[in-house]
Amino acid sequence: MSKEKGQSKWVGKSYPAKEILRYVRGRGEYIDDVKLPNMLHAADLRSPYAHARIKNIDADKALKLKGVKGVLLGHEIPDISNSFPAAGVSPKLKFYSMAVDKVRYMGEPVATVIAKNRYVAEDALDLIHVEYEPLPAVVDQEKALEEDAPILHEELGTNLINHRVLHWGDVDKVFREADVTVEDRFVFHSYAGTPIENFGVIAKFDPGEDFLTLWANFVGPFSLYFLLAMALRMRENKIRFIVPRDIGGSFGIKCGIFVDIVRIALVAKKYGRAVKWIQDRREHMVGGGRHSGRISYVKMAATKDGIITGIDEKWYEDVGAYMRAPEPACMYRPSGNYVGGYSFKDLRVDANAVALNKLESAPYRGYGCHLVYFNHERILDMLARKLDMDPVEIRMKNLINKDQFPYETPTGATYDSGDYKACLRKAVELFEYEKMRKMQKQAKKDGRLIGIGVAAGVDPSVSNMAYITVAYTPEERAEASYLPKSGGGETAFVKVDPSGTITVSMGTCQSGQSHESTIAQVVADEFGVSPAEVTVIDQMDTATHPFCVSTGSYSSRFASVATSAAALAARKVKEKMVKIAAHVLEASPEDIMAADGKFFVKGSPDISLSMKRVAGTAHWDPGSLPSGMEVGLSTQETFNFETSKTITADDKVNSSNTYGFMVDIAAVEVDPNTGKVDLLKYTTVHDVGTVLNPKFLEGQIYGAITQSIGGVFYEDYAYDENGQMVAASFADYLCPTAKEAPKKLDIGHVETPSPLTVLGSKGGAESSNETCPAALANAVEDALLPLDVTINELPLTPNKIWQLIQEAKEQK
Amino acid sequence: MKLEGTYRFNTAQEKVWEVLTNPKHLEKAIPGCEKLEEIEPGKYDATLKIGIAAIKGTYKGMAEVADPQPPDKYRLVVEGGGSPGFVKGEALIELSYQDQRTIVSYQGEGQVGGLIAGVGQRLISGIAKMMLGQFFKQIGKELKSL
Repeated sequence: MSKEKGQSKWVGKSYPAKEILRYVRGRGEYIDDVKLPNMLHAADLRSPYAHARIKNIDADKALKLKGVKGVLLGHEIPDISNSFPAAGVSPKLKFYSMAVDKVRYMGEPVATVIAKNRYVAEDALDLIHVEYEPLPAVVDQEKALEEDAPILHEELGTNLINHRVLHWGDVDKVFREADVTVEDRFVFHSYAGTPIENFGVIAKFDPGEDFLTLWANFVGPFSLYFLLAMALRMRENKIRFIVPRDIGGSFGIKCGIFVDIVRIALVAKKYGRAVKWIQDRREHMVGGGRHSGRISYVKMAATKDGIITGIDEKWYEDVGAYMRAPEPACMYRPSGNYVGGYSFKDLRVDANAVALNKLESAPYRGYGCHLVYFNHERILDMLARKLDMDPVEIRMKNLINKDQFPYETPTGATYDSGDYKACLRKAVELFEYEKMRKMQKQAKKDGRLIGIGVAAGVDPSVSNMAYITVAYTPEERAEASYLPKSGGGETAFVKVDPSGTITVSMGTCQSGQSHESTIAQVVADEFGVSPAEVTVIDQMDTATHPFCVSTGSYSSRFASVATSAAALAARKVKEKMVKIAAHVLEASPEDIMAADGKFFVKGSPDISLSMKRVAGTAHWDPGSLPSGMEVGLSTQETFNFETSKTITADDKVNSSNTYGFMVDIAAVEVDPNTGKVDLLKYTTVHDVGTVLNPKFLEGQIYGAITQSIGGVFYEDYAYDENGQMVAASFADYLCPTAKEAPKKLDIGHVETPSPLTVLGSKGGAESSNETCPAALANAVEDALLPLDVTINELPLTPNKIWQLIQEAKEQK
Repeated sequence: MKLEGTYRFNTAQEKVWEVLTNPKHLEKAIPGCEKLEEIEPGKYDATLKIGIAAIKGTYKGMAEVADPQPPDKYRLVVEGGGSPGFVKGEALIELSYQDQRTIVSYQGEGQVGGLIAGVGQRLISGIAKMMLGQFFKQIGKELKSL
C-alpha cells in the first residue's frame, strides 16, 4: 500500500506551511472571532472551596442588575441534563456540567450568568451569594484511600472510582525464579499543556425549531460529540456542531471542552438565546484540564545478564474530582505498548483511579505514556546500576529485533514496523556517547556533577477506540448491556471542479500543526500538481462534513489516518480522471500518467490533456463519458484500520494502530549549591515511518522536548493541602520560555514505513513527550550518583534537588 | 500556613488584655477592618477590605474572641468571604508578665482560598506577616491612647 520511495515529489519535502501567513498577519479565525446577532455573554461563578456542601444560592440581586438576562443554578441541572458517564466508573457517580449540591474542587462552576456583555456578567457574579458548608479536602491518592479520608462521592462510599488488575503471563512465577529484582516507589506530578488560546463555546438555541447550533474550539474525538448530545437529552440531528477553522493550540486538553459546551448549551436552551463563553486564563488553570499524576510501586525481575523477565506495578492515579471522558484512559491508552520496545512477556498492572479534590484530569500530549515510560526507564536504569551494566548496553540486550515485526506484544498490540536497535545505535552515534562518557569522567575529577540519561519508548499513534474498554472488567464486558468498541478511522472529501482546481475538505480540527499544508502535499503528489494549487479546508461541521466517531486530532492520528484518507480519496478521483483521459485519448488507462497538471500517454508526452480539459469533460459533457460513469469528480473516503479490533476476554487489545519509536539521550550538569540543572546536550532519534514533512516534524520534536523540560523542571499543577490550586497564573505555573528551551537538539531519523497506512506514515507528534521526562530524570540521577541521591519524584525543582542532596549528606 | 510570633509591650498585662479583646480596639487594629458589630458577647460581624496581589476585595464574615481566660489567653478567630475568595485565621494568644513587660505570643493557622490563593500564592505568607505586624503595631498605638 505504501508508495515507493522516489515517486513522491512533495511528500517528504519541507514544503513551507502556508497557514502561517494568516497567523502572522492576524487573520486567523478563532472562536472569539465568531459573533452572532443578539448574542449574550456568559460568566461562571466558581467555588473558592475544594470541598463543600452548597447550602443555599441566592441570585436575586444578580438577576436585578441592569443588563443581566438570566442565570442558571446547579439545582436545575439534573432536571434538564444527564450525568456524564465514563468507562469503568459506576453510574452512581454523578458528574454534571455544574456543581449540584456539593462542590468537589476549587474552581468548580456553581452558577452561570448571561448578560449583554462579559463585564456586566462578571459584576453580576459578585451579587450572587452562596452559602457553603466547607468539608475537609483530600489531595493525595494514598491518603484518599485511608479509612478516615473525606469521601468525595458519598453514593460510592469510596474514593477508588476505577480499579483494574491487568495480568498478562505469570508475574509471580517470574519473580520467584528471578536472579535479581529491583523495586522503588515513584511519584510523577501533574502538569498540562497550557494552550495559548483557552476554551471557547457559543451555543445558539432556536426554540421554534428545537435546534441547537454549537461552536467550540474542540479537537475531537467526535465520540464525545455523541456524549454531549446524550447529556443534553437531544438527538444528534437536532445539534449542529461547528469547529472554527483556527484553534490556538490544544495538546489534547481541548478534548475535555464538551463539559463546558453542555453548561453553556443548557443556559442557551433555558432562555432560547445565543450565548458566548470565552474562558480566561485563571478559569482555564482551575477549570480546564491537566494530565493525571501518579504514585507507583514498581518491581522489575531480570536474569543476572540483564534480561528483563517481568514487571509488577501498582498505580495510584490522581484523576481529580470526577472522571471526565476519555479518562481513565490516562492509565489504559498505552495498554498495548506497556512493554515499550522490550521483549519481556510477563506484566501485571494494578491500576487504581482515585478521586481527589482537584480539577479532573484530561489527555495531554504523550497521554499516559510518559508515566509508564518514567516507571520502566527509571527502574531499568536502577537494574543496570545493580548489575554494573551500561544503560545503553542493557537496553540493546532487551530491545525487540527488527526481524520480529509485525510484533505481537503480550498485552495485545501489533507493532506494525520498526528497527529499535538501529534507533538506539544511531542515537548513541549522534550523541557521541563514548566521548561524552569520557568527558563525564574527567569532569567528575574536576568536581563537576555531570550525568547522562537514556530513555527509549514505543510511540503509539491512532488510538483504537477499543482501548477505552480496558477500564471495564471482563465480567462487565460480558454483560448484555455492554456494547463493544473498536475503530480508528478518518474521513476526507476530495473534489475537482470544472476548471480542474482541487479542493480537499476535512474535519481534523487543526490547532497549529500545519494540517492544511501537509494534506496539500499529499494530494498534490496524487494528482501530479503543486501543493499551491490544492485548496484544503480543514474545518469541522457535523452538518456538512463527513466524519466518524473517531474524527479529530488526538493520539497523533493526523499523520497516519487523516493523510491516508486524503490520499485514498485523491487517488480515487485521479483514477476516474485517468479513465476519462484514456477514453478521450483512445488509450488504455494503464498507459496514462499524471504529472505537471497534465494527463499524458506514457512514452508520448505530447499526446496529453490538461487537468482542466479532463475535469471539463466530466462536468460539462458527461454524455461523452464512458458508459456507467457517474457525473462529476468528487469522492468521500473513510480510512479505517483492519487492525482496530475490540478487546479480548483476557484484556488483550491493539490499543493503537501505528507504532513509532524514539530514543532520547540527555546530558545535564547539576549545581550542588543551587540545585539548578543545566541541559548540556540532547539527542533524539525518531522512527515515525515515512516522514511527510521534515520541517514540520522537527518543529513537533522541539515542542515535545521543550514541554517536557518545562514539565520536569518548572511546571507543577500544584494544590495545597486544603485543595487550593496555587498556580493559577503564569506567575506561579512556570511554562518554559525561550531561555529554558533547548538551544540545540541533535535529531536523527530511522524510517521503517508502516505497512498499514497509505503513505507508510505513523504519528510523531507526541514522541519525545513520552521519553524525555525519563531521560532527564535518568540524567540527573546519573549526575548525583557520587552523592548517593536517588531520583524517584518529580518535579525536579532546584529546591527539591538541593534538599535531596542535603538529606543524602545527613544520612552519611 | 503557620503563623507564630512574640511581641512585647511596656504596659501592664491587664491593660494589654483589655486592648486585645475589646472590639473598639480590635476594629482599629485588624488590618482592613471597616466594622466590627457585636452579635453576642465575644462574637462580631466583620467587614474587611484587603488587597492581596493587586486584588482588592471586601470580605464579610466574623471575628470571635473565644475561650477567654483573662488576662492570660484566648483564641482569636477571624474569617471572611467575598468575590476574591475567603480568608480564615485562628490563633491562640497568650499573655505573660516578665521584667516589667507584657509578652504577647501567638500561635496559629491561616488559610486563604479562591481567587487570591490561585494567583497570589507567592505573596501570601509575606502579606500575612505584614498584616500581623500592622495588627500589633496598632495594638501598641491603642495602648498608648489609653
